[in-house]
Amino acid sequence: MSLKVGDEFPQVLLKYAPYDAANPGACAAPQVLDTNNDFAGKKVVVFGLPGAFTPTCSAQHLPAFVAKADAIKAKGVDLIVCVASNDTFVLDAWAKQENVNGKIILASDANGDLGRATGLSLDLSKLGMGSQRLTRFAVIVDNGKVAHLSVESNPSEVAVSGADNVLAAL
Amino acid sequence: MAVKIGDVFPDAVLTYIPYDAHNPEACGLPQRLATHEAFRGKKVVLFAVPGAFTPTCSEEHMPGYVEHVGELKSRGVDIVACVGPNDQFVMHAWGRSYKVKDDILMLSDANGDLGRALGVASDGTAQRMGPVRLTRFAVVIDDLRVVYVGVEPVRGVSVSGADAVLAKL
Repeated sequence: MSLKVGDEFPQVLLKYAPYDAANPGACAAPQVLDTNNDFAGKKVVVFGLPGAFTPTCSAQHLPAFVAKADAIKAKGVDLIVCVASNDTFVLDAWAKQENVNGKIILASDANGDLGRATGLSLDLSKLGMGSQRLTRFAVIVDNGKVAHLSVESNPSEVAVSGADNVLAAL
Repeated sequence: MAVKIGDVFPDAVLTYIPYDAHNPEACGLPQRLATHEAFRGKKVVLFAVPGAFTPTCSEEHMPGYVEHVGELKSRGVDIVACVGPNDQFVMHAWGRSYKVKDDILMLSDANGDLGRALGVASDGTAQRMGPVRLTRFAVVIDDLRVVYVGVEPVRGVSVSGADAVLAKL
């Protein structure tokens, strides 16, 4: 069972530590991001990746979205969400290291709910990284419906799920 | 905990990213560490954290070991290691944030094998922190035999902290 274009994006509760512009170094208390309620009536870009601080994710996937966040929002996107299986504390530390500065919400799917609901989970236990990771993908969700979906056939690469791919699809 | 003083510490495979003194900023390739092979014939202090970058771990548990690692080694400890349920990349990044270099080995038990073998696996699903977590503890292992066990009964750091371990060496 895998997500496809035209589907309703599944309702899942994710967690994130909100960015506080007045106190950017602070470790904020985690908030819930409800993919149903918080995406209603909005155009949202969601991109998933196997893990914070990992080479491809840190070197290629996230930084490109940070750099192109304004351009993506200029095309009518209300919210950009990066999802990974790490917890909110790890994602918050990664966001600070990558200077995300609130442009993208880094949301945690630590319980694996989104991975299971979309069929986009990745088992990396052979690498000692646990069985409930997310594969690398990008989705455009328009008022709750999947308008675009690109899933990397090789999760170590950013070929179809990068910021430029998403910009071209908007 | 499933092991007690006098028991042989379980053999488990953990992963870590080694520190490269020539290229400290580099994200090295993950390596496997089999506890029996790595700890045989050595005195090891191993402390476990529920999660890298979390408040108690970051503010209370880890700093104590960073501060006392020299003293631990001067008392005959060969390896000081921190194990967490996060993957090796996260553990490595967390260790880097304390500039531990190779003084403290940052180990990953992301598959939960060590947690299960020791009976200290905990489930963080209710807090939305995922099903594979570790209870906070510290053990001292001498040539694979457990000589000290300190499992934290509640939140905070007491029997699993660097001070408690130092007092036992």
